[in-house]
Amino acid sequence: MPKILLIEDDRETADEIVAEFAARGFDVSWAATGIEGLDQARSSNPDAMIVDRLLPGMDGLTIVEALRKDQISTPVLVLSALAAVDDRVRGLRAGGDDYLTKPFDLVELIARVEALLRRPANTRETTLRVGPLELDLIERTARRGDRPIDLLPREFRLLHYMMQRQDQVLTRTMLLEEVWNYKVASQANLVDVHMSRLRHKVDEANETPMIHNVRGVGFILRAPA
Amino acid sequence: MSAASGSFSVPLPDFVRTTTVRGALVVAGAFALYMVVLFAVIYWRTGHYFMARSDAVVAQQAKVFSAGNMREQLLAVDQLLKQDPRMVQHAGLFAPDGRRIAGNLERMPPELTLDAPARDAVIPVGPSGAERQHVRAVAHSVPGGGVLVIGRNVDETVQISAIVGETLAVGLLPALCLSIAAGMLLSIRAQRRVAQVNQAVQRIVAGDLRQRLPMRGVDDPFDRLAAVVNGMLEQIEALMHDIAGVGDDIAHDLRTPLTRARVVLQRGRENARTVEELQAVIDRAMLALDQSLAIITALLRITEIEHARRLEGFGRVLLADVVREVGDMYEPIAEEKKVALEIEAATAPTVHGDRDLLFEAVANLVDNAIKFTPEGGKVQLALVARDGESVVRVADTGPGISEEEREMVLRRFYRSDRSRNTRGVGLGLSLVAAILKLHGFRLSLTSGPGCVAEIVCPPES
Repeated sequence: MPKILLIEDDRETADEIVAEFAARGFDVSWAATGIEGLDQARSSNPDAMIVDRLLPGMDGLTIVEALRKDQISTPVLVLSALAAVDDRVRGLRAGGDDYLTKPFDLVELIARVEALLRRPANTRETTLRVGPLELDLIERTARRGDRPIDLLPREFRLLHYMMQRQDQVLTRTMLLEEVWNYKVASQANLVDVHMSRLRHKVDEANETPMIHNVRGVGFILRAPA
Repeated sequence: MSAASGSFSVPLPDFVRTTTVRGALVVAGAFALYMVVLFAVIYWRTGHYFMARSDAVVAQQAKVFSAGNMREQLLAVDQLLKQDPRMVQHAGLFAPDGRRIAGNLERMPPELTLDAPARDAVIPVGPSGAERQHVRAVAHSVPGGGVLVIGRNVDETVQISAIVGETLAVGLLPALCLSIAAGMLLSIRAQRRVAQVNQAVQRIVAGDLRQRLPMRGVDDPFDRLAAVVNGMLEQIEALMHDIAGVGDDIAHDLRTPLTRARVVLQRGRENARTVEELQAVIDRAMLALDQSLAIITALLRITEIEHARRLEGFGRVLLADVVREVGDMYEPIAEEKKVALEIEAATAPTVHGDRDLLFEAVANLVDNAIKFTPEGGKVQLALVARDGESVVRVADTGPGISEEEREMVLRRFYRSDRSRNTRGVGLGLSLVAAILKLHGFRLSLTSGPGCVAEIVCPPES
């Protein structure tokens, strides 16, 4: 059971987040202040942390910096009501691993925390495999079983990203940010169009689908059972 | 005001306490001092001049007369006194024992020293000798032991000096009054203008931005200053007007989805019978809320960009890459809508800018173009060089944009009526405009058959 530490001063928001994570089988603890949070982070050794930027009397980034100084590399997702792109950059530079702007979708938050918990291993493998799906990173070719898949560069990029994160829900914003480097996720339907293209190529009519739509959240790549 | 201060003092009229009035008084004082010094010099110099002249005359006469013999001396004295209608000459020839031989002097004035330079003496005149006159006189020894005294009345000199003094007294006071009055007048006029300006400013502060500072229509510093301030007020009023307009737009555009959310939730609460129905209601409400949030996000972003906080992200950007990436991203979307998307990057210029922002700007234009182009239409995304400038051109075969709509379109939130039903928050072009302004690029919108939007990037200097 992954242990999550939430540092958030707004009780109502915190309650919702804690309930949602608990319902999905996470072990969540909550700290309402930065000091308390920092103590807990040091003593309870969580698997991931969610840190609000605007805490009473303290910037959430200070906590992240303090942790990194202690060589604690627990992945941290920074929450902020500041939408500015520069703040995002600052958050990541301070040692945060991901950045989410308030207001956010709870499923988006969970998807991102799960992504943090299962970061792609820094393998030197040149071929990725998910079930019958194979991606050759050197040849830049893809195949499903014996069937070669002809991918455009952008489709290759998208599939690459998804194969590194199989069985993981990927939200539209995550895909826009990571695959297209599009910082302002206002054109969310873009992802659907690209995804449907890719899906047509990966999952042919007679095959068991591997790319699934998670309603209201995003997409997931799964090996056929 | 003055009652509040503890010490009692006779309150001066307001204008006396001002610096302009104090300045006027100082100037008047200095002027008066100058006049006094000037007249003192004239007084002193005139007196001195006449005195010196009298001295020279008497010395000369005494010298000439005493050179001759007794007879000649008698004649000369006689002559001198006869030819003196103004009665300013005095002469006396005295024997060695002090007895008077000739002339109109009763006796030798005791102040005189023999053969010394001319000096002041008082001599009795008139039949009784009761009247006295101030003279400059010399006593000169003559051959044979006698003394010749020549004197000259200097009352005239004293009178001239007195006239000079009187003139000063008569002239100084009016001049002083005049300069003080002029100073006061100028000061009061300045005060009045300041008061007028103050009134106008008070009204502006109270919120009436249409107020302007009063102007006389003459080319004085006050008017010039007022003109500058009025120009500034003009600008502020225009900005405030814009902001007010934006405020209305925000209220409208935020209220629309929020109202929808509220209505949907309210009806759902009353009518939904099953969990599925309730979920559908909630989904619709959330969609509306997301729209409101998207508007707020977009607004914050425009504000962020307009405040130019992103200059740190600037670097060299290959425009062709941006164009290709945007094209790549939108190709499937265009295809889906059955709109042909043509991409052409004929040149490969680099510009100084923020890659992400420029990507966003171009993406926005392409997004719009695809959105407004009907099925079977065409969108062209091209990077061309023109007049030494790089131009990213997005042309579509949509309904185009009318002359008066062009300005409006760049305003935050504006969406032309026909696009009200199309998705999007209507901030796209304002965002593009803000991004380009930050870069020093231009956005031009023209109506061809469809709409032609161009990002014009001047060459790097």
